[in-house]
Amino acid sequence: MSGGANKSYDSSAGGRAYRSVGRPRTLDAGQNSLALVLNLVRTGQSTTRQEVERESELGRAAVTDRLATLGALGLIADGELGQANGGRAPRHVSFRRDAGVLLLAVLDDASIAVGIADLSGRLVGEHHEALDMADSPASIYERIQVLLAWMQQEQADGAEVWGVGIAVPGPGEQSSDSTLAADLVEPQPWRNRGFAGSVSARFGAPVYVRSSVHMKAIGELKAGAGRGVGDLLFVSLDRSISAGIISDGQLHRGAQGAAGLVGHAPTGEEGAVTCRCGSRGCLEVLAGADAMAREALAAASTERSRYLAETLARNGTLTATDVGHGAQIGDGFCAELIGRSGRLIGESLAPLANLLNPALIVLGGTMAQTGDIMLAAIREAVYRISHPLATRDLRILRSQMGGSAGLVGAAQLVVEELFAPPILKGWIHLGSPRRHPELDRLMVDTQQEEQKRAGRPQPPKRRAGQTRNTGGIEA
Amino acid sequence: MTITGLGPHGERAVPADQIHLSEADFAAADKRRFSVAVVLHTTTSDWSRQELAGIATVLGRASAAVVEVVDCGFDAAAQIEALRRLSSENLDAVISIPIGNAAVAEAHRAVSAAGIKLVLLDNAPTGLLPGTDYVSVVSADNFGLGQMAAKLLAAQIGSGGTVGILTYGADFYATREREIAFRKWMAAHRPEICIAREKFANVSEAGAAATRMMADNVQIGGLFVAWDVPAMGVVRALRQHALAVPVTTVDLGNDVAAELAAGGMIKGVAAQRPYDQGVAAGATAILALIGKESPAWIALSGVEVVAANVVEAYQIIWHAPAPKELMGVRRKKAG
Repeated sequence: MSGGANKSYDSSAGGRAYRSVGRPRTLDAGQNSLALVLNLVRTGQSTTRQEVERESELGRAAVTDRLATLGALGLIADGELGQANGGRAPRHVSFRRDAGVLLLAVLDDASIAVGIADLSGRLVGEHHEALDMADSPASIYERIQVLLAWMQQEQADGAEVWGVGIAVPGPGEQSSDSTLAADLVEPQPWRNRGFAGSVSARFGAPVYVRSSVHMKAIGELKAGAGRGVGDLLFVSLDRSISAGIISDGQLHRGAQGAAGLVGHAPTGEEGAVTCRCGSRGCLEVLAGADAMAREALAAASTERSRYLAETLARNGTLTATDVGHGAQIGDGFCAELIGRSGRLIGESLAPLANLLNPALIVLGGTMAQTGDIMLAAIREAVYRISHPLATRDLRILRSQMGGSAGLVGAAQLVVEELFAPPILKGWIHLGSPRRHPELDRLMVDTQQEEQKRAGRPQPPKRRAGQTRNTGGIEA
Repeated sequence: MTITGLGPHGERAVPADQIHLSEADFAAADKRRFSVAVVLHTTTSDWSRQELAGIATVLGRASAAVVEVVDCGFDAAAQIEALRRLSSENLDAVISIPIGNAAVAEAHRAVSAAGIKLVLLDNAPTGLLPGTDYVSVVSADNFGLGQMAAKLLAAQIGSGGTVGILTYGADFYATREREIAFRKWMAAHRPEICIAREKFANVSEAGAAATRMMADNVQIGGLFVAWDVPAMGVVRALRQHALAVPVTTVDLGNDVAAELAAGGMIKGVAAQRPYDQGVAAGATAILALIGKESPAWIALSGVEVVAANVVEAYQIIWHAPAPKELMGVRRKKAG
């Protein structure tokens, strides 16, 4: 952070490089030092004026001024008196993490999770519900927005929404043309700019869309089994199988945001089903939740499993969760099926263990919850195949956070984005990222795109929550 | 009935009827004579009495004793105080229903941190993790109950009407899930129905909230009340004001069952199975105490109750014959 006041963000290299821009203009310098002081207080690096002076290398008058400005903007608050050290006791200052809220959504293969977090990224409320696979993308968009509005109305306690984090299945990458909105790589139905733009317009706040498995990996690192671990692999075991890679405490996203597509690793076994990537024998086609349901259905109809036949008769359908129940109550076919899937998954993870040498592999998703047989089979294959050095201290655990991991990760991402110096200095003097000038530009873009789609001019749209109460809970 | 709701971390439910204690489990527990405390939001409702009966029955069979039952009176502060005290006592397990969310999170975490097995009913406060901070959540399918109540009420409402939701004003996960589900069902199946909502801060204010809402929205043609005790308060208040609308609710308490059977304002109940839930919670506690892992989210589907099946449903839910007045109504119908 040191010297941040004289540096600016350069995204052209694709990373977080900072370059000197020479002597800054007064306004830039003021915003930079405000941003610097806020981040020192926000992250707890400095909690008194004296500490801010020491860490920021700013003069006393400048620090006093910046703290007063941040207080007037409602971003920090005075706290208790600290320990006196030969003079007057210093007063602590703290970041007002309740100055705004973050709304979060995680879309998975079969569920939607929504949450609300404070500005420190701490999750304060969440809701999970099953997704009906017959739902159209449009109805899924709308459901996400209804649930986010619900969260805001019920749990924001009147605080403004400062940012929205949305995690979706599949890879995603940051937009190249904006620092406030993210775009997505693949032109699948829910991966369009229109969705992020309409959410942004509805809540009047910047929206960040990323890959759900990457968000879960960050969530596990922040609040789950990965706390205190620098190198971890989070593996999502659902209809699709994918991994989030944390290396030295940082998420590895890959050039296209597609790092971790382990479900498309070839297993060496030929299957009758072609993968959506066009190949045969991909891991997720042979060992994913759909494959397990398909095998279960076949076993039920041929009476190879009495439990599955009875469950099919009762529910009219079979899932990987049913197979897990069957294995837990001693159904031999279910146990064998889970063991086979676990072995294939473990055999595909072993090369990753060799390549990345993680300290921890966390297994999440529906199939991770099917019981001990899955866990044991994965462990057995990874430990059997990987290099002994790579597995010497390697732990393989089931996720305890479940679907909450993605929400925690999304909150963390939004916090990091909103308070990244290049973005922060764009709004800090205005007191809220909702008033960032670039957000207005994004709103106009969104409106124009909506008009294009509608094929006719529409009246100007207000920024949600800015001039009126959105009025009741929308259902 | 299937379980439609997901767990507090998005878990798929394991049905409660799959949680069993084997003879070997009973034998392992017998020798150790475990002590268990139960912490409830209230002990005065029919739901609570049934829940406690289920817990006590299964614990008794495992030679474990319920050594304390705490009535928190819907007060989060009282629950925090009780949990702090219990954390320092010589207990093997605590079965608790969290009152609120963030407010009671640390107090619940302290129970597990003290080496006491914690089984939660209905919800886990945000931030608590299964396996670390608690053993399992054993819950009714509150999402499914909300959908069921919506369906029962929609059957009473003509096209294009308005319905009111009366729900609890506190940060209470179960009632919130019911409301989300109620709204979702209505939006999907009866999108033309308008929805109004009023909250009550405590149970005794539900009747006043209902009359206030009815005065503000004269077109309301039906009400969903979050559970049975306030629902009966609403029914009494509406009667006093010479008002009558169809009401659906959750939980088949004695008063609601009588109102339903007599053809009163209660037209349908999405009933929990608190006795069965208590049995599952007690069994989960025993399994944890003898070192066996349980699923993180154990749930029970609800029972759809209308006047025509109230006696049979009562028997399923209460594990007992229905009261005489219900039997009488049923006999008249049969005759």
